[in-house]
Amino acid sequence: MASSRDDFIIAIRSAFLKKSTQQKFSLLTLVFFSLFIVVLSSLDFKVIRYSKAVINELVYRSSFIVSVPENLIKDTFIQVKDYTTFFNKYKKNVDELESLKSSYVSNEITEYENRELKELINDYVSSSNKILAKIIVDHDSPFLKSIIINKGSKDNIKIGTNIYDQSYLVGRVIEVNYKTSRVLLLSDLNSNVPVTIAPQNIQAIVTGSGLDNGQIKYIKSGFLDQLVDDSIVYTSGTGAIFKSGVPIGKLQSFGESSVNEYQVEFYSDFSQLKYVFAEIITETEIPQNVTDADNNIEENNPLDAKLKILEDELSIIEESNKKFQKENENLKSEINNLNYKVLNLNNEISSQKRTISQFNLDTEELKFLKLNLEYGHKCRKSLFNNKGFTVGSVGYKNCVLSKGKIDG
Amino acid sequence: MVSLRTKGSFLKLYGWLPILILYISVLNEFDLNYLNLEYFSFNFPFILIFFFTLKDFKHFDYILVFIAGLFNDTVVGLPLGISSLSYTLICISTAYLRNITIRPNPMKDWFYFLLIISLINSLNYSILTLFFSLDLILMNYLVNTFFTFSFYIVFTSLFKYYLRGLND
Repeated sequence: MASSRDDFIIAIRSAFLKKSTQQKFSLLTLVFFSLFIVVLSSLDFKVIRYSKAVINELVYRSSFIVSVPENLIKDTFIQVKDYTTFFNKYKKNVDELESLKSSYVSNEITEYENRELKELINDYVSSSNKILAKIIVDHDSPFLKSIIINKGSKDNIKIGTNIYDQSYLVGRVIEVNYKTSRVLLLSDLNSNVPVTIAPQNIQAIVTGSGLDNGQIKYIKSGFLDQLVDDSIVYTSGTGAIFKSGVPIGKLQSFGESSVNEYQVEFYSDFSQLKYVFAEIITETEIPQNVTDADNNIEENNPLDAKLKILEDELSIIEESNKKFQKENENLKSEINNLNYKVLNLNNEISSQKRTISQFNLDTEELKFLKLNLEYGHKCRKSLFNNKGFTVGSVGYKNCVLSKGKIDG
Repeated sequence: MVSLRTKGSFLKLYGWLPILILYISVLNEFDLNYLNLEYFSFNFPFILIFFFTLKDFKHFDYILVFIAGLFNDTVVGLPLGISSLSYTLICISTAYLRNITIRPNPMKDWFYFLLIISLINSLNYSILTLFFSLDLILMNYLVNTFFTFSFYIVFTSLFKYYLRGLND
């Protein structure tokens, strides 16, 4: 009994401590060394961080080169698979495109309005710039769902940067190196995303299942009954980890039990990703004219900032009112002048009319006198002409004007 | 003369082939995951390290195995040192098995391998969940252990061919 125990101890000692001819280190040294590295890697010191970044850069690049043949096989496999379902996919895409085109215009308007409102609320303009990143390592590990992209701190990538496939959320950056970063996919067990489920407007958290879908968590039991198939799941922006309003996937029921159970089917297929977009967000303050130090302090408060905007608006309106009043007065005086001119002109016209009428009368009188000299004797009443008229009467005048013709 | 030299360098490369494959496998995560078979995964480095350290292969330096572990952690995204510890523990277990074995038996080796990878995967799972608070699916570990154990016999027969070729 004692000898077998001795044998065991000797074998163990030999296994741990004995160095074979080719070995430079004993296994016990390596065990301690690994434990030392495990402890060190959990600490967040600057030196450790930089060393890890250097190791990561080297290993990721090496992994990318080594993975080339396997990726070639993988791509061929996927391409063959795609060709078999090509036509059906094409038909589906055409239908989808048509419906998307119609909703695109209204979306743009909503987006514009949203941006304007956010600017008013936040006191700063948030502009985002999406940069294209290539996936250099995509080893779909059964334990951790993550990818490595070829953009790092050099390209302003930070921990928490949102990663997209087109406009769909894929995950966020959890580790940044100089030219590479690790992205934790939404399907990972450790991924938690605050979401809104539309159209029911239910708030929840989506966690990865470790497979290719997500699970709905932290939802009140009463709301669970309201969920239906194909409800849209998008980020709520709660906690400011993810930007709000980014589509993630849709709900799908599973299982055949009477109780409804739902999982999130992601819009993006994480196993097919080749390129992704990293969103670099920069925040710029809205410039404001500050007159004194007190105003500066007050503006720190968003309510005061709003009041300041309203006051500015009021002063602008008052100024424009004054301008209008002045203009109004000018116009009034101009109208008065014009009225005076019109009056003068009217007077002139009436005097001219009078002159003209006088001229007409004179012309008529002259004509009568001319005809009177010629035909007056025919119209004048005398001994030989008893049909004639008394001079100065209307009949006489008419007779002269009708050149001596007496009616009757 | 030239052919002898070429043959010599080829033999040298052939001798380093297992360690080369180990590095390729940790960098490439050779696991056929793109087949999208649910839960399917196996740990090829475990099989390779177990077999070649058990056979006391002269090119299988422990420090190189240790570095391969660091590479694996970096690629998979595990805390640095976890895989190195696992690989070193496999080396210890094979050194122990070598010391206590007088007449090697492939079946005993195979089941000893199952015991060792089960222990190591349990240790890994415990460290990652307890100390690093990572959420992991235990079923994945169990399936991984099962497939690694199943594939051991397939790969060892291939490795035996390799060793025979090297001896010839």
